[in-house]
Amino acid sequence: MTHDFLSIYDAKIMEYLLAVAYLLLFVPMWRYVQGAARGAEVVAGATVALPAAVAEAPPLGWFQVPDGVALHPGHAWARAEPDGLVTVGLDDFAAKLVDPEALKLPATGDQVRQSRPAFAVGDQVLTVPMLSPVDGTVVAVNAEAREHPERLHDPYGAGWLFKVRPPGLEGLKQLLSPAAARDYLEKAAESLSRQLNPALGRVLQDGGVPIRGIARAVAGDEWAALARRHFLTDRSEP
Amino acid sequence: MASARTQALAQPSFFREKILLGMTVPAYLKSLLTPFNAVAAAILAVGVPILVYRFAAGLGATTNLSQAYPWGLWIGFDMMTGIVLAAGGFTIGATVQLLGLKDYHVIERPAILTAFLGYVMAIIGLLADLGRPWNIVMALVSYGSASALFEVAWCVMCYSSVLLLEFTVPFFEWLGWRRVHAVLKKALLALTVLSVMFSTMHQSALGSLFLLAPTKLHPLWYTPFIFIFFFISAILAGISMVIVESSLSHKLFAHRLEGQPHVDMDKLLIGLGKAGALVSFAYFFLKLQGIIDGHAWGYLLTGYGALFLVEILGFVLLPSLLFAYGARNQRVKLVRVAGVLTVLGIVFNRLNVSIFAFNWQNPVRYVPSWMEIVVSLTLVTIGVLCFRWVCNRMPILWEDPAFSHED
Repeated sequence: MTHDFLSIYDAKIMEYLLAVAYLLLFVPMWRYVQGAARGAEVVAGATVALPAAVAEAPPLGWFQVPDGVALHPGHAWARAEPDGLVTVGLDDFAAKLVDPEALKLPATGDQVRQSRPAFAVGDQVLTVPMLSPVDGTVVAVNAEAREHPERLHDPYGAGWLFKVRPPGLEGLKQLLSPAAARDYLEKAAESLSRQLNPALGRVLQDGGVPIRGIARAVAGDEWAALARRHFLTDRSEP
Repeated sequence: MASARTQALAQPSFFREKILLGMTVPAYLKSLLTPFNAVAAAILAVGVPILVYRFAAGLGATTNLSQAYPWGLWIGFDMMTGIVLAAGGFTIGATVQLLGLKDYHVIERPAILTAFLGYVMAIIGLLADLGRPWNIVMALVSYGSASALFEVAWCVMCYSSVLLLEFTVPFFEWLGWRRVHAVLKKALLALTVLSVMFSTMHQSALGSLFLLAPTKLHPLWYTPFIFIFFFISAILAGISMVIVESSLSHKLFAHRLEGQPHVDMDKLLIGLGKAGALVSFAYFFLKLQGIIDGHAWGYLLTGYGALFLVEILGFVLLPSLLFAYGARNQRVKLVRVAGVLTVLGIVFNRLNVSIFAFNWQNPVRYVPSWMEIVVSLTLVTIGVLCFRWVCNRMPILWEDPAFSHED
């Protein structure tokens, strides 16, 4: 069988044409791949029409911290119990930011370490890791909260997450006292309000009823990234 | 005495905890009775004796290799394919350690383990294929620096060593050896630099081997730039293998991930899908340039042309479009399908280059013997079993929290 081979000129013309065609096609291919399907993402920094729920956002100071708990900057609290155990939960800010529909808790017997990821909150699709406020061995897990995440509407009571037996209580000294914690949550609320600006700058001053699931309402599909930033888990572990 | 015994019972032995997964010996043996293990055992029961027989009786007794066809399935599949599918180690290593995309850190260890096992199996396959395997040590003392095989031999040795060292990080984490673990973890960046260097040389050197045989390889596959094609397809294979492997391992080892921090695997797969779309798109056009440059258009309407078109349209262009559509529309299943297609396509390419389209003008065709096929199947099975054994025990799919703070 014989084959008609191309002359050198024809071959070179085809090579150049192919190279040009590739470059011309690569640009739309790049833009297509890097872009998002319509409605799939909220463009960062863009002013977006906010859901009605956000318009009810309350003024600063509505994130509560009761006396007797110490707060980790990753928005988890710890409370020393009389029996030597430490109860752990997520704070009011985290509960209202995410309004968890699903909880991933450590198992009994697991070791948790202060400032390391220990549990996760989110929905059926996506969860966001949160940091443990203390070191220790998990000795009890609140299965009730795991099965019924609405318990987290009472984050410092029925919504506790797990109890650990700590090696000592020194770790608690590194956490924020209730007074410092209230300042911290106020700053977190301010930070959140800056992220909501300009659309929400005014309404935040207006008072209103606290809403749940602020992150989803504000950031849409990017809610997890917003939550990670506040929970200090936005950088992967080295 | 009684309290000592109680204490001993309360603290199970290292062997039981680390090797038997906390089970007693009878319970562990019982847990091994699964359909998958039965199939694997049957393959090993046939394959391992054949591998031993090959070393006892020689290549002539076990293979259909000849002077006309000195390279067969063990080179084409075990070596060429095994090595390219191990490219995930350096691809993801570079992504995490060099490009700084730390999100992908969670899939770095499985990729390195896959690469390490892939290389070990390829080396075993190579030793089986060499007529005088004991002479392989001559590569250490005989500096044939003008030989592509010399480059291949040294890169295999060096990169396997680097992969072993990278693997020791989770290994020592498993053993609880903090000091040596900390040292190796600090060395991980340097090891990644070495792994990229050796892989670049090695993956391309496997292509360079065919520069020695320009008339033996069919013009549709032969090009003076074949080493570049091998390297780019290795990156593509690395991305796709990681997609396939991490999808499978996070499903199969889901029970081992309970209690671990949640990982948004879909997001990672979408990111890998974007990379896969762009790399395979570029690779497709490079393959077209290769046939123009080789003046091989005329062969496209032959039987070999059909084989070539199936390879580049069905296993390069189609997965590229699937990757792109899946990544843009957050369709993870499509990304996985594209990953599987690409892996199959890379296997197909290596088999085309080293077996189907090699010696294409030779009237006598090579068909592997059943023993060659069984040995190749055995090596794949051993690799899969080793991967499972390690993943079930060592911190491969996650990091031990007690160690993760040691940067």
